[in-house]
Amino acid sequence: MKIRSESAAQTRQLASEVGALLERGDLVLLVGELGSGKTTFAQGLAQGLGVTEPVTSPTFTLVHEYEGRVPVAHVDVYRLDRVQELHDLGLEELVDSARVTMVEWGDVVAQALPGEHMTVRLDSGDTEGDRTVTIELHGPRWHGRRSRLDRSLAIFPTVRDRSD
Amino acid sequence: VLLLGIDTATRRVGVVLASTNGVLARVEIGGPDTSTPPRHAEILAPAIRYACAETGTRLDQLSAVAVGTGPGMFTGLRVGVTTAKMLAHALRVPVIPIPSLDLFAYPLRYARSLVVPAIDARRHELYYAIYRPVPGGVQRISEYELGTPEDLSGELAARGEEAILCGDGALRFSDSFKELDRVELASPAHAAPSLSALAELAIARYEREQFRPSAEVLPIYLRKSDAELAWEHR
Repeated sequence: MKIRSESAAQTRQLASEVGALLERGDLVLLVGELGSGKTTFAQGLAQGLGVTEPVTSPTFTLVHEYEGRVPVAHVDVYRLDRVQELHDLGLEELVDSARVTMVEWGDVVAQALPGEHMTVRLDSGDTEGDRTVTIELHGPRWHGRRSRLDRSLAIFPTVRDRSD
Repeated sequence: VLLLGIDTATRRVGVVLASTNGVLARVEIGGPDTSTPPRHAEILAPAIRYACAETGTRLDQLSAVAVGTGPGMFTGLRVGVTTAKMLAHALRVPVIPIPSLDLFAYPLRYARSLVVPAIDARRHELYYAIYRPVPGGVQRISEYELGTPEDLSGELAARGEEAILCGDGALRFSDSFKELDRVELASPAHAAPSLSALAELAIARYEREQFRPSAEVLPIYLRKSDAELAWEHR
């Protein structure tokens, strides 16, 4: 599904609705150019997961862990160059049935991660703060939650594909 | 001889203190239950401290530090092997590395069948090896392998021998082995490497002076891929 956001605050609110539906074991790949709002979206997800501490960018620290209603790991692989560094980071093991893991630039390391995940793509629009948020659900773990997600996000303006 | 042993190759953090007369203390936290995330880094040092405190042991009394070197959970191994090397270096005592898979097999050495420990390697893969009981112990008759449950199941079917499967990986993927009527699944008591085996094997090696300078001890990593990441627009 595609949703339009007009500001960082709206992106965070939208992400918070998504975060409220996440469960232990979920993996969210955050995809988009520099400055597209991946960390902003992660902050909203964390809020929806009940994290009350401030969520900051892990670009230079690679992994931040939080305790919400479930454990949450926030990863940024921007500074990594090689597959060995993913192993060194323990990325495959961070994705665990006991926590929610969100990975910025997750598309680049998808090969090392389970195929069952949510992809959130953020694309900049014409004006400052304007974003198109595309959410894709991969794998059977989302089956029961797809319609709940649709209902939660119904208050936000959707973007119609040209093909519609 | 007073030995500290550490094994963190699975979700279980294991610490053992032992002398020539046997185990003095064993601390185990975590197991195959996956409802809490593994916390090797947070648990290991306090577990060592607890074992020492409750047995009145001071670290400077240790003769050696033994460590399970995997193959197994990457983050766990790094914490366990680094802690063992650091302690041994600081205390000027040797490190005794023992592959964690061997520690599953040794307590099952009285079996009259092959013994096959399998550790959950994530992403639908297992670390495993095949052992044959011999007088006084077990002999490893395969490499340390990384493969899918189907790979292992196929290998056991091809061998056609009686076998006992143990380890958290065997428990997790038990469905992959239920068609094999000569293969028996060990109980969750054998889900993690045996700390008693670690103590027993390490003390025997200490007495034969089979130890290594701490700098030479490394975990057994079976995943070697080091391709470049496919960045398009960083």
